[in-house]
Formats: sequence, structure tokens, C-alpha cells
Amino acid sequence: MTEPVGIRLEGIHFGYPARPVLQGVDLTVRPGELTALTGLNGCGKSTLLRLAAGLLRPHRGRVLLGGEDLARLSRRATARRVALLHQTAPAVPGMTVRHLVRQGRYAARGPLGMLREGDDPVVLRALRDVGVEQWADREVDALSGGERQRVRLAMALAQDTRVLLLDEPTTYLDLHHQLDVLRTVVRLRAERGLTVVMVLHDLGHAARFAERIVALREGRVVADGTPEEVVTPELLADVLRVAGRVGRDPEGGWPVCYPDHPLPDHPVPQNTRI
Amino acid sequence: MSRRLALLAVLAVLCAGAELVAGRGMAPGAVWDVLAGGGDATERHILLQLRVPRLLVSLGAGACLAVAGLVLQSALRNPLAGPEVTGVTPGAVLGAVTATGLGLAGWDSPLAVVVAACAGGCTGAALLWLLAGRGGGDPASTAVHGVLVSAVLGGLTAMVLLVAPGELGSVVQWLIGTTEGRVWQHWHLLWPWALAWGTAAWLLAGPLTLLRCGDDTALAAGLSVRRARTLALLCAVALTAGAVAAVGALGFVGLLAPHLAVAVLGADLRVTLPGAALVGAVVVGGADAAAQLFSRLPVPALDSGRLVLPVGALTACLGAVLLLIVVRRTPDRTF
Repeated sequence: MTEPVGIRLEGIHFGYPARPVLQGVDLTVRPGELTALTGLNGCGKSTLLRLAAGLLRPHRGRVLLGGEDLARLSRRATARRVALLHQTAPAVPGMTVRHLVRQGRYAARGPLGMLREGDDPVVLRALRDVGVEQWADREVDALSGGERQRVRLAMALAQDTRVLLLDEPTTYLDLHHQLDVLRTVVRLRAERGLTVVMVLHDLGHAARFAERIVALREGRVVADGTPEEVVTPELLADVLRVAGRVGRDPEGGWPVCYPDHPLPDHPVPQNTRI
Repeated sequence: MSRRLALLAVLAVLCAGAELVAGRGMAPGAVWDVLAGGGDATERHILLQLRVPRLLVSLGAGACLAVAGLVLQSALRNPLAGPEVTGVTPGAVLGAVTATGLGLAGWDSPLAVVVAACAGGCTGAALLWLLAGRGGGDPASTAVHGVLVSAVLGGLTAMVLLVAPGELGSVVQWLIGTTEGRVWQHWHLLWPWALAWGTAAWLLAGPLTLLRCGDDTALAAGLSVRRARTLALLCAVALTAGAVAAVGALGFVGLLAPHLAVAVLGADLRVTLPGAALVGAVVVGGADAAAQLFSRLPVPALDSGRLVLPVGALTACLGAVLLLIVVRRTPDRTF
């Protein structure tokens, strides 16, 4: 196990014309930490992950990965340091599990290296890590949603990076497969010393599995701390715009949310024409 | 996988054999005699100067179109992308027709036609590149603009034909696609071009496979998506222009052969790109053999001495049927 790598976002501004997304985000993720990112739809969570993965360039500020500025690294060099699992991926007809997972080696092998026959040990390890080696030669499109998500996680793991970013890895999955994916991430992070940041909408999962929860609202960090510090009725109301109560797990003691109803949207200012 | 490739290769050889004996004016036995070193001067000329180059050109053009189609479908993630709808084929046709109309090239001077078709194909692709955002940013908009460019270029071709009909008969054959009268000169122009760009396309197999997974996934895996797509489109344009310059606008091959190849060989482009080349060769070679056999049938109503069925007419019909089968068998396939 090599030394874990930390992420540092410094004064990040990012947006599209007439729609700022991130407005000055400072965030330091310590090496080996498991962080959950939460907030309403459109608050900038996915954008933050894409910036941290080097898929987008910040308009202002910089992203440091283990002390290296991502702006100085090529796309391939970045993908050797950080892997990002997107929320959804389109179907790819005719592609087998093994073949898709092998695509994760592109950053390490390069365009000509991909022409070589055979799997390297990293691909086999990734298949084993998520427990899909028994379906390695089945077509990805023939799998169920939960199985497919495991395969896509294996593809990200095949990049063999120190940092793993997951954008809503459990959306569209049933509870069984949600826990399956989360437990796999937690186990691998302990085994390999990965630094993990994942977007989670389920605060219960976040409180159970993450050591740190960061909440975003309108492109700014509004809460940051351990689950015990962050998961409160005030956070539910202010950040997630729901009214509810927060209790404790009878055995583990971690916070458990009992959300009840959505709060009304922010009132429209008087002089705004609709 | 390698067994299926070998099977395809055998099929290609069978088609080639069928095409050698299918033509008129020579009994199948005579073909064997010539190949064994015998035969009289006329027979030797027919086989070695007419049939063999024609066979090679048809196989080569089929392979080019199929590889170009697979590259386009992968790079644009679009099941309907093909040389016909990216402005390349219509551009090449327009180039050749215009050059002939202006008297710069005749159908008996292959080199001039090839150059004109290549220039036209590149113009069509450049037009698409200008319209759809340099580098082919968004696959869907590239496909839509491709259809647009193709329609406009097709209209221009019709206008040129109306103003300067020229040798209308051979132009029409060329619009449909034909291997009639292709000689060694065509083959010598085609093969180095096809080999160079085909190899380039194969070297892009890794990036193309990632592009099939979608831009987001490809980017996250470390691929510079725009650069890879631009290189891929360049290969596809060059291969299409080469094929169209050699045999004209063969319909459906570039659309159909990739679908067949992926259905048979899977999505591993290291295998499927050469496989698609074989499928394309089989389709065009087989269709050409069939077209020649049809032309031999005595049709009393027609002047069967002069009737020659252009291979493009057959590939278009055959292609439509085969494509329907592919679509019906796998209803939820996207590309």
C-alpha cells in the first residue's frame, strides 16, 4: 500500500454564461479520507467532482492532487492519478464485462498499448475487487442495473489511482445493491488507502459510511464536519430544504434522519417579473 | 473470435472465386485453364487485365467503405452514421461529376476522376467540419449537419448533371456505384491509399473503443476526446474518398457492414475493424458476382447484350434487407 494522496481545491470559481455554478469553494480532503458530498440538485456537487477529476478547468482557483496542479497535467496523466465514476453511462452494444473493465487501462497503456492482447494484473484484480469475475465474458448490456454499476466501478478501479471520485454511485439501485456498492468502496478504501469523495443524496448512507460530510448550497460550502456535527435538523432545513428529525442508531450511535416534508421554495423577490 | 475471422476470410475467398467466373464471355473452365497457365490470348486478357483488377478493386472498395463506416459509427456514437450521410460520398460524387462536366476528366482517365472525387470528398467533410463545430464536438449535431450537407451536395450534383449531362450513362452508373471497367490503374491508385488509412484506423482502435463508451466515460478514462474524434473522422473521410473515387457511390455498404461486423465479432475494435474490412469485401465482392450473374441471364425484353446491372443497385437492395434483419433481431441495439 502506497501513501494516500490528498485533494486541495483553492478558491474555485466555475460557471456558464449567466449561471455561476461554484463561487469560491475551498476544500481540503485529507489523504485516505472518505468524504460524502451532499446538497440539492444543481448546487454544484457534480461540477465539483468533475473539476477535482480534471475534466473541467476552473475559471479561477486551482486543484491540487497530492501537491500537483492539475492544470499542468495532460488528460492521460490526470487519469492515472484520479478516477471518476459518472452517475450514468450509455449502453455499449457488444461489449463484454472484461472488455469494458480493460478500457480503464487506457491512461496507463496509451493508445498503442491498448492494441496489445491480454489483461494485465490490474484488470483481473479490479474484476475480483467488485466480485464480477464470474461474468467477465458476459455482455454488459445483458446485466441488471446493480450488476452494471459494479462493472463500472471495476472500470474506474482499473485506472489504479490513489483517488476515487464517485458521482451518485447508488442512484437507480435498489437498497441491496446500494449497500453492496457502498460496502465495496469502504472495504477497498481500507485495503488500498484510497482517498474517496462521493456524492450521496441519502444522508443516512452518508452518516453511516463517511467520516466527513460536506454540504453545498448555491455553489458554496455551507457545512463541513463529521456526521455527528453536520447531520442536524437545521442542515435538513437549510441545505436540503426538508423538515425532519434526526435520531441515533440504537446500536452504532451514528445519526439517522427522519425526513418528513419538503419546505416551500425560497420566496420570489417582490420586483421579479415572472 | 479468430475462428469467426477465419470463416469471414474463407467467405471472402469464395466470393472472389465466384466473381472471377461470373462474368460474361468466358466459360468457368477457361478461367481455370488461364489460372493454370494455359488459355489463349483473348482469354488471358479478359481474366488478367479485366476480371482480376475488377475483383481487387471491388474487394478493396468494399473494405474501405466498411472500415470508414465503423470508424464513423464509433466516433459519432451514431447507428446511422455512414459515409453517405457525412457529406463525404456526396462530395466525392459532386467532385467527379463536376470535373467531367467541365471536361477536366473523362471516365476513361481514372487518375483525373480519382483526384476530383478525393477533392470533392474532402470539401464535403470540410463543410461538415465548419458547420458542426470544429473537431466534431457533439456527435448528435455532427450527424444532423452531415445529413444536411449530404442533401445540399446531392442537389448540386443533380444541377450539374442537368446543365452538363455529358456521358450520362456512365455518370448514372457511377452515381449508383459500379465496378464495370475497373482496370489495374484503378487498383494501383486504390491499394496504397486504402492500406495507409486502414492501418491508421486500426491504430486508433483503442481510442475508438473508448469513444463507443460515451464521451464522459472516455474523458474520465484519460482520452483526449476531441483530438481522438478528429483523427478518426480524418481516417473515415480519406477511406471513403478513396473508395468512392474507385467505384462510385456504393449504397449502404458503409452503413451495413459495420453493423454486421459488430453483431458477429463484438465491440473489440482490434478484431472488428479488420473484420469489418472483410465483411465489406464479402458484401461488395459477392454483390458484384451476383450482379454479373444476373446480367448473364437472357432477358428477352431487354437488350441483354448491353444490359449491365451496376453492383451499387444490388448492394443497396441487399443492404436494406440485411440491415432490417439486424435491426429486427436486436431491437434495443443503439449502434
